[in-house]
Amino acid sequence: MPLLEINNLVTAFHTPAGRVPAVDGISLSIERGKTLGLVGESGCGKSVTAMSILGLVAAPGVIEAGEILLRDAGGNALNLVTLPEPQLRAVRGGRIGMIFQEPMTSLNPVFTIGDQIAEAVLLHRDVSRAEARGRALEMLELVRMADPRRRLDEYPHQLSGGMRQRVVIAMALACEPDLIIADEPTTALDVTIQAQILDLLADLRQRLGTAILLITHDLGVVAETCDDVAVMYAGRIVEQAPAAALFAHPRHPYTIGLLAARPDRGGRAARGKRLRTIPGMVPAPQHFPSGCRFHPRCAYVRTVECASALPSLQEVEPGHFVRCSYAEALGEPRRTDAALENNLALENNLARENGA
Amino acid sequence: MTQPLLEVVDLQTHFPVRKGLLRRTVGAVRAVDGVSFSIERGRTLGLVGESGCGKTTVGRSLLRLVEPTGGSVRFDGRDVLATGGGELRGLRRRMQIVFQDPYGSLNPRMKIRTILEEGLIIHRLGTAAERLERMTVALGRTGLTAAALDRYPHEFSGGQRQRIAIARAIVIEPDFLVLDEPISALDVSIQAQVVNLLVELREQLGLTYLFISHDLSVVEYVSDEVAVMYLGRIVERAAAERLYAEPLHPYTLALFSAVPSVEPGRRRRRIVLTGDVPSPASPPPGCRFHPRCPLAEQVCRQTEPPATMIEGHAVHCHVAAREVERAGGDAVVASARMAELMASNTALAAVATP
Repeated sequence: MPLLEINNLVTAFHTPAGRVPAVDGISLSIERGKTLGLVGESGCGKSVTAMSILGLVAAPGVIEAGEILLRDAGGNALNLVTLPEPQLRAVRGGRIGMIFQEPMTSLNPVFTIGDQIAEAVLLHRDVSRAEARGRALEMLELVRMADPRRRLDEYPHQLSGGMRQRVVIAMALACEPDLIIADEPTTALDVTIQAQILDLLADLRQRLGTAILLITHDLGVVAETCDDVAVMYAGRIVEQAPAAALFAHPRHPYTIGLLAARPDRGGRAARGKRLRTIPGMVPAPQHFPSGCRFHPRCAYVRTVECASALPSLQEVEPGHFVRCSYAEALGEPRRTDAALENNLALENNLARENGA
Repeated sequence: MTQPLLEVVDLQTHFPVRKGLLRRTVGAVRAVDGVSFSIERGRTLGLVGESGCGKTTVGRSLLRLVEPTGGSVRFDGRDVLATGGGELRGLRRRMQIVFQDPYGSLNPRMKIRTILEEGLIIHRLGTAAERLERMTVALGRTGLTAAALDRYPHEFSGGQRQRIAIARAIVIEPDFLVLDEPISALDVSIQAQVVNLLVELREQLGLTYLFISHDLSVVEYVSDEVAVMYLGRIVERAAAERLYAEPLHPYTLALFSAVPSVEPGRRRRRIVLTGDVPSPASPPPGCRFHPRCPLAEQVCRQTEPPATMIEGHAVHCHVAAREVERAGGDAVVASARMAELMASNTALAAVATP
């Protein structure tokens, strides 16, 4: 029984310009102690998915359909979509911890680090102030903060970006959650600091058995930290697989494109050759194309069917799901090579359309 | 040997730190503190480093968007720092910059026409008809059409805006572009489009680039030569293929190993540096990297390391200098040895080795 199970979630925003389905029927599950990477570009709906789980979707956003089940060790499930706010508040920060991208905005600048971590503990545990403060110190030690006792009485502005993110992680872990939702936790950090934080998260997961939903646009981060990956495009999951399988044999044209668009390290031979691109741009939710939402940018197959019928998420190998009518065919490398050459022509066409 | 288009010697840009009622200067942030490099015509120098290392300030100092404190910058034989007035304006026509954030760098109240034409008017280039022609050509080169001229920046996506920012830079036909994190604010699927465009323009127009980025893979792809900055100084500089194949500076090694990779074979042990970058207002004595360096010795804490040169590959590190000497000047052997030393001296993180 998975710890968290999302079934056919639809979250839409009702704006003056019309209904914007930011998340349009996604299903996911995370097992206890595992890390799931949710990858996609800006506007694909990955952060709205996180907000939906936490019950933090703000008006004019509404969860229109689906269920989000959080199970306890005994297998009893809570549906977070229908859970009343007071109980939801106990889940948030209690059974589910949160880490956001910009640590400065998730910390209150006028309270000390110690007070903020202790507050999280006091909200969810029946402990005294002194005990909560002791717990805060313990947490700072856990996240390997240098000189933790002194940090307790410092303010967020006195810390560097990497140290602030450690504080946020300490807060997220203070109540021993079963699940941590980390939304772009290292995007605002430098690579050497990112390495420290990823290293810390991996270590904590191992020691505490906390499951992690890692939301990111960085495929490299996913490859190094996640057990499973789900790739989102335009409000839907287009590919889902164990991380090793996804990176070794990506099957959806979007995933293939994303992986190929990055120059390889050590790929000096590739110099002088154009980088592979994904032509066009990410569609805004008001203008999601019909059928397969990736079809206007797809260099592989563009049939009438792609433009009209929504492909289902089909299992091409055990545990490897792809939302593409031609997923089987894309398994053949020959087909893939031919498609690469189509890319340039398509790119030029789209550039002309867009510029005109 | 041809004369380089751009020659920078011991460039320093310090920002005063003022305090108190009288705003007395109490110190200086040494953002750029003795940086030297040169770029030959048609070549690209990649400048990499983490935030706060001074790479952006280097780019801005070259164009005198911030005023350097010392050193010299020669552009096509002329002293950029000693010129003023009309002569400086003439030089600036030939040196342009593209900024990171295409949302912040285009004035939202101006039509694209006004944005592009401004430079042409300032530099008195052509009649109205000729200006229109130049703008149309510049937009065409960046994959847009003249239809864009009467629209506002908000009508374009991030990738298109960056194309407009590039068109603005090339419309006055410069020789040299400072590209300051030109793709960092863009989505992954759009980044490759803009990188391809920049490479094409370089070939077509014979441009020379200073490509500033923290993205090591893209820098490797675009650059002929790469310089690594740390805390206001260049710590290592070499031809791109050599720097990536045989890095010698401990910071370069750590930086390379910290980049998460999707290639299974590359997922090796990561060197995790401890601590944060110190403040450039009070850089540590000796080698500036020593407080975070796993190989730091007594000499590193006291003496600034001079450049060790191995066939055009420059590295500022006492330990690397010794290893190069020991390897008889063989950079490949020295680099492997440095990596080994780093590995045995750091808290190693075993990263998902398949």
